[in-house]
Amino acid sequence: MRPRIIKIIAFQQWKISFRNKAVPVLTLVIGLMLIMAAFSGWKIYKDQTTIRTKYSQQVREQWLNNPDKHPHRMAHYGYLVFRSKHPLSFFDFGMESFTGTSVFLEAHRQNSVNFSEAGFSTGILRFGELHIAMILQLLLPLLIFFLGFNAISAEREGNTLKVLLCQGISWPELLMGKTLGITAVTLVLYLPVILATILLWLLLSGFNISADDAIRLILLLITYLLYFMICALAAVMVSALSRTSKASLIALTGIWITLMIVLPRAVQALGAHQYPTPSRLAFETAVEEDLVKAGDSHNPNDPHYAAIKDSLLRTYKVDSVQQLPFNYGGFIMAEGERISADIYKKHQYDLIRTYESQNNFARYAAFADPYIAVKNFSMALAGTGFASYTDFQDQVEDFRYKLAQRMNRLQMDLISNDKHGSQHISHEHWAEMPDFRYTFRKTGAIFRHEALSIAAMLCWTAVLLILLFTITKKFRAL
Amino acid sequence: MYTQMFRNFIRSGAAIIAVLFILTAGFASLVIGKRYLAKQQEVIAQTAVHQQQHISKHVEYFNKETGLLLYYLKFSLVNAPRPLSGLSIGQRDVNPSVRSVNIRNLENQQYDTDLSNPSNLLLGNLDLGFVMIYLFPLIIIIFTYNIFSEETEGGTWNMIRIQAVSPLKLLWHKLLHRAVVVYSLAVVLLLSAIIILQVPLNITLLAVVCLLVLYLLFWFSLSYWIVSWRKSSGFNAICMLAAWILLTILTPTFVNSYISNAYPVPEALQTVIKQRQGYHEKWDMDKSVTMEKFYAHYPQFRKYQLKGEEFKWLWYYAMQQIGDDDAAQYSKALEEKLRKREEISARIGMALPVLHTQLSLNDLAGSGMKDHLLFQDSVRHFHEKMRLRFYPEIFEERPVSSIDWSSFTVEYFTAPAGIRWVTLLLPLIVICTLLSGLAGYNLYRFRQE
Repeated sequence: MRPRIIKIIAFQQWKISFRNKAVPVLTLVIGLMLIMAAFSGWKIYKDQTTIRTKYSQQVREQWLNNPDKHPHRMAHYGYLVFRSKHPLSFFDFGMESFTGTSVFLEAHRQNSVNFSEAGFSTGILRFGELHIAMILQLLLPLLIFFLGFNAISAEREGNTLKVLLCQGISWPELLMGKTLGITAVTLVLYLPVILATILLWLLLSGFNISADDAIRLILLLITYLLYFMICALAAVMVSALSRTSKASLIALTGIWITLMIVLPRAVQALGAHQYPTPSRLAFETAVEEDLVKAGDSHNPNDPHYAAIKDSLLRTYKVDSVQQLPFNYGGFIMAEGERISADIYKKHQYDLIRTYESQNNFARYAAFADPYIAVKNFSMALAGTGFASYTDFQDQVEDFRYKLAQRMNRLQMDLISNDKHGSQHISHEHWAEMPDFRYTFRKTGAIFRHEALSIAAMLCWTAVLLILLFTITKKFRAL
Repeated sequence: MYTQMFRNFIRSGAAIIAVLFILTAGFASLVIGKRYLAKQQEVIAQTAVHQQQHISKHVEYFNKETGLLLYYLKFSLVNAPRPLSGLSIGQRDVNPSVRSVNIRNLENQQYDTDLSNPSNLLLGNLDLGFVMIYLFPLIIIIFTYNIFSEETEGGTWNMIRIQAVSPLKLLWHKLLHRAVVVYSLAVVLLLSAIIILQVPLNITLLAVVCLLVLYLLFWFSLSYWIVSWRKSSGFNAICMLAAWILLTILTPTFVNSYISNAYPVPEALQTVIKQRQGYHEKWDMDKSVTMEKFYAHYPQFRKYQLKGEEFKWLWYYAMQQIGDDDAAQYSKALEEKLRKREEISARIGMALPVLHTQLSLNDLAGSGMKDHLLFQDSVRHFHEKMRLRFYPEIFEERPVSSIDWSSFTVEYFTAPAGIRWVTLLLPLIVICTLLSGLAGYNLYRFRQE
């Protein structure tokens, strides 16, 4: 492979591309869509973050403004938590519109995360959303296929292919040159996207950026470039393999529809079919059943709690729970919370594993469909993927558990065992509980979770490059 | 000659592949629809059993105070899916089909969601609606993009011209042959759907059939129009595909983006905040404040008065009630906003056949937003009904045993029927007529040449 030759071919392809009158029009249309998508992403991030920050502050103030009261009242007063958006979510909406935005946290109960955009949608949302990542994932490949479908076949039809090959240009050089030429055309759109993304990202994160975030962004941008090159190389190869330009165009259109529209839906449906998941009712019933087995704090004759009571009375050498040096009710509730949270966690873990088994069909399908690989990796980097969804739930449950146990602790320490004694504690204790802060996952964790997507992308690159040097030996000039 | 032409067409590779592809996708979608309906039925059956067990267990545990028992007891209202929703799952996988509520605060229970894998929601359901709306147009495109141009490009056009048949008649026949195949496929799939999903033969089904027939006709009219320009096969194919991408992928995303930006719903978060504060702050207030508000809402309960300092369920349920009352303004605003969204989408949909068909299909199948809003409304009434049923018993402190608990079985919601035929079909009829008219005009001028 001679770089000089490749450069010449690439430049030639660039010139040919722009000679087609449809190309500037298409580029302009996609460009306008990108601008709209960027604007919409920016606005949604801005609006949602403003709303959610405002209400989070309100919730915090209300929490602090509670007067003196029984800590268990506070545990039921609870907390409202709102999902925070990652600054990069303006780039890729991922599945965020399908995951709720707010959750009410209280003692003894894990509530659902409610108010997703999908729940507010009339159904139009299900056609897809307009965001930068969608355009880059779906439409740019289409443009690339349009640029590349006749890259070789037109040369063959115009009898110029013979001439090129006679001049000593090898097949790999020719295909590589064409691929780079096409990729260069996509850069007309992609370079502004890169600049705009960096700028918006800086603006939205208030110029307050971490190295980890920077790595995410760079990875995101590289991923898409690689994706475009994979698409371009595939298009050029299909063009070389096709007898006519028309056949090549039909093949590429078929590939696009299959890989981007039909296959992702089909494999996900297959996954969902293979691994049925419980309804909320079945889930809650299962949790409840386990809870009854472990000990039911509501049942006055429950053996588990009776045993605890006996052992407490023995240890402290007292005759009744009223004589214990701490509040007995608080102790029992802390025990109940520990048991129920553990059981819930176990069931939640199983549920998420089942969801992941469903998703694995699509994850493995990424080896057949680079679109799926890019889609998954991109939303993971933008903090809008499946792992962010489970991560938020985990952090929220952790916060809920700590809140409940903190209140139980306060009850044990400060509330009298005697019903006529002090049943209130000072409101100064409320400030001791920190506010909820969602911490985004580190890039390392994303790598681990998205190993399959990354492997699929690299696999595609490798296979196409190997094909470039092997299969081309059998190509004919006519 | 036409029979021969038809034979040639259906024996062609492209036709066979397209037919097999659609049938595979179609039957897969029916399996998915069947599975979806079965799961929903199972959930409903479980709900009925669970409610009974739940009530008898709690009645046994908390048999001393009716007020305490009703703190726990939950009653379910079911929005059973229609068999048609197996054909168009719509928003049914996002919105729950069962709501179980206790008689405390409603606003805290009204928006709970079912468990679902967000990846499944994101990628969407492969239901028959998807096959009809996305995939059928593709085979129409494959079948028709070159019906005219293949003759000129293949050199057979002049042969046709010198024969006795009218070229336009020939074109019509070719179009008709393709329509026969496409509609036969649609009929096969719909008949299978009726059998597999046990769809009742009623007026709603007729509406679905009319809608889908017109939707497919829209794609035929569109390609008829594009073909009538008499451009090359390649040009036609690209135009039709561009139309497909524009209509099925791009315009809906724009409309969605517009609606979610133009009608944001901060009311949702406001509702939960107000409800929580409205109820909880009453614990720290003078009881008479709560009671006065409660009596203002329900004058008929003024006869129940608080006496003494001890805890009374009357006060507790009054506090719960005020939580709802304080949030009422916001939850109403939220509902209004969603209705507005629904209205706007339907209006925009009139001009966009793909959107119109999907939204109408959801409506007919009871899997759209309209159905969900009606259900939510009915949950509100159901909750109110249960409250009013139990309030006197609680306030009078009647014993738990005085109520026949076994009579509280699961209740069902049925959306009011009613098809607005004109809004359903007219938009598609107008667009089809327009496109065919334009095509006819083009071809008429061509004959004059």
